[in-house]
Amino acid sequence: MVSPEAKKLAEERAARMQAALDLKEPDRVPFTGLGGDVIPAYAGITSYEYEFDFEKNRQAAVKWFTDFPSDSAPRVGLGGLDNQSMGVAFQDYPEIVSGVNSVNGPMNDVLKMKFVRFPGRELDENSARQFIGGKNMEPEEYDQLIADPVKFCFEVIMPRISGGLKDLGSPASLATMARFGLEKARQDAEMAKTMQALMELGYYFAPRGVCLAPLDLISDQLRDIPNLILDLRRYPDKVKAAAEALVEPMVKMGTMSIKAGAKECFIPLHLNEYLSPKQYNEFYWPTLKEVILKLVEAGMKVQVFFEGWHDAHLETILELPAGWGTAYFEKTDVRKAKKLLQGHTCIMGGIDVSDIISLTPAQLDENIKKLFDEMAPGGGFIFSPNIGTCPRETPIENVRAVYEAVEKYGKY
Amino acid sequence: MREELLRSFVDMDEQEAVRIARELVETEGGAVAVLDTCKEAMEEVGRLFEAGEYFLSELIAAGDMFNQIMEFTLPKLQGEEVASLGTMVLGTVQGDVHNIGKDIFKVMAEASGINVIDIGIDVPHEKFVEAIKEHKPELVGMCCLITLGVDSMKRTIEVIKEAGLRDDIKIIIGGGRVSQAVMEHVGADAWADDAARGVRLSKELLGKE
Ligand code: B12
Repeated sequence: MVSPEAKKLAEERAARMQAALDLKEPDRVPFTGLGGDVIPAYAGITSYEYEFDFEKNRQAAVKWFTDFPSDSAPRVGLGGLDNQSMGVAFQDYPEIVSGVNSVNGPMNDVLKMKFVRFPGRELDENSARQFIGGKNMEPEEYDQLIADPVKFCFEVIMPRISGGLKDLGSPASLATMARFGLEKARQDAEMAKTMQALMELGYYFAPRGVCLAPLDLISDQLRDIPNLILDLRRYPDKVKAAAEALVEPMVKMGTMSIKAGAKECFIPLHLNEYLSPKQYNEFYWPTLKEVILKLVEAGMKVQVFFEGWHDAHLETILELPAGWGTAYFEKTDVRKAKKLLQGHTCIMGGIDVSDIISLTPAQLDENIKKLFDEMAPGGGFIFSPNIGTCPRETPIENVRAVYEAVEKYGKY
Repeated sequence: MREELLRSFVDMDEQEAVRIARELVETEGGAVAVLDTCKEAMEEVGRLFEAGEYFLSELIAAGDMFNQIMEFTLPKLQGEEVASLGTMVLGTVQGDVHNIGKDIFKVMAEASGINVIDIGIDVPHEKFVEAIKEHKPELVGMCCLITLGVDSMKRTIEVIKEAGLRDDIKIIIGGGRVSQAVMEHVGADAWADDAARGVRLSKELLGKE
């Protein structure tokens, strides 16, 4: 049972995050917490156990989130790998999308995706899961993608990337989908237990949508990055038309969880760092901006993860309406972003995971103090590691130093 | 023709650059001229990248042009003396499968005259040791894009030490997860998270600049 104290704690945490999103000063600087492979290591289990066994996964999460409290809705459950082209294929069936969009270990035992590898399967028990990516589409196929992205993802791409569905309509493919349904039901029930366990600790959960920038769907899932970069010069018009054709599917993916109560949509960016401002503004930003604006129109806040260096494109964020959401930065300095975006965009990030691994506790303490001195005033700031995953070897004394510094210096 | 090749290459005019290179390579001493010009062009592209005028997109396009042109130029260079600044064994460390950055760095290092032995991605520690024994490089380059790779680099360097090979080589690390702190943590000699700087530092480590 969720005690009144736990409920109150959860409300405080949610309010802290919400205040930052609303560009206000909360009671303390909200902190998303650290996570990743360090969670199973801390619990003394292998990455394989953590990624395949719900019971062990749950115990590890409970231990971590008890010892290291944080403010955002915790990311728990089995970790998955991106599979959004298959999400597009099933975009009219939300209950399927939530299972195929990101594929975890046991689900991959069913779907047999070609471009992923998991610990204890293809990899050593303590390796991190791997998305290997690759080229799944030829340049001659752009016209098909443009004409009907959903049909193309279903009929052409899915059989290429899923071993279980390589022969659509065959008994093997029907059996795969039936097994998928059973596995999905089992996982939903397990997830409900995990969420319950964390709510008892004072955490809250909020469903959120996920989608990609249209051009990223093409480069991550269909053509691969180097090929897409060359396509921009070789077939510029086709690339542009394909990105436009994907706006609607991406909006649909992003908004489909509104019915379940989602108020936010997450969009991680990949190609941004590769492109010159000219290419960004011609090929990438127009369709991404359209997706963001439509999500905002639908009543959502958007969290965009600007992976890599986003410095060259920073000013384009100001083209969005104030209060649109959160800019989460990986390498771009959050201080620099704040100068430009204060009062317009909530800023998230602030500590490099490489530093958490390689600096001393005293250095981390000092860095966080300085960071908060500059970033906290005025609000609209969420403290977070620059990437979501700390490796197994992350020194726990450094993890402690980070949480203690947040406690010490985070008060408004 | 060399000047035109240089211009079209640096301006990213793929069709024109490849066309001129094909023509030039058939002339007397043409293969050497193509090689030298393309190296010069890559260097210029690297400079523009460091200056913030070019982006990764241009590095990838330039690397692709360079490879396309070398495919028909290198066979014609057999027997010619091609000076090498030294040898580097290069790989993405165990647990990490990212290769785009490594491949960009590789083409630029090769274009600068370093002989690069690419041992791939997700490279086990021992494979670095074997490659060092086999190729006797002056330099070892490690690429790492994920945090898990940081300890992987550290472990690889320890294994190289245990094999008694550390003093024979200089180690440079690159990729998205590296920094001064990471370099010190893993015990490397230099670090670069951009290819042009990486090539410059590699040359310095080779005592060539
Ligand atoms: C493209 C990409 C991928 C592609 C990789 C395609 C490929 N074949 O390489 C795919 C989709 C396959 C992929 C997979 C994964 N990725 Co990835 N990926 C990226 C992304 C978007 C760009 C990386 C990149 O190519 N950058 C551009 C290159 C050119 O930069 P670079 O490597 O730094 O190289 C430059 C310099 O460093 C230098 N250089 C490179 N090598 C060397 C070597 C030497 C010796 C020197 C001197 C210089 C040098 O030259 C280059 C040019 O200047 C980044 C985010 C980002 N923007 O950084 C995430 C990112 C690296 N990926 C990440 C993750 C988590 C993954 C996955 C684990 C997926 C997952 N969610 O589970 C898997 C990886 C599995 C594994 N174990 O490795 C995380 C890493 C987080 C972490 N734990 O540290 C990142 C940071 C995304 C994020 N913000 O969360 N990814």
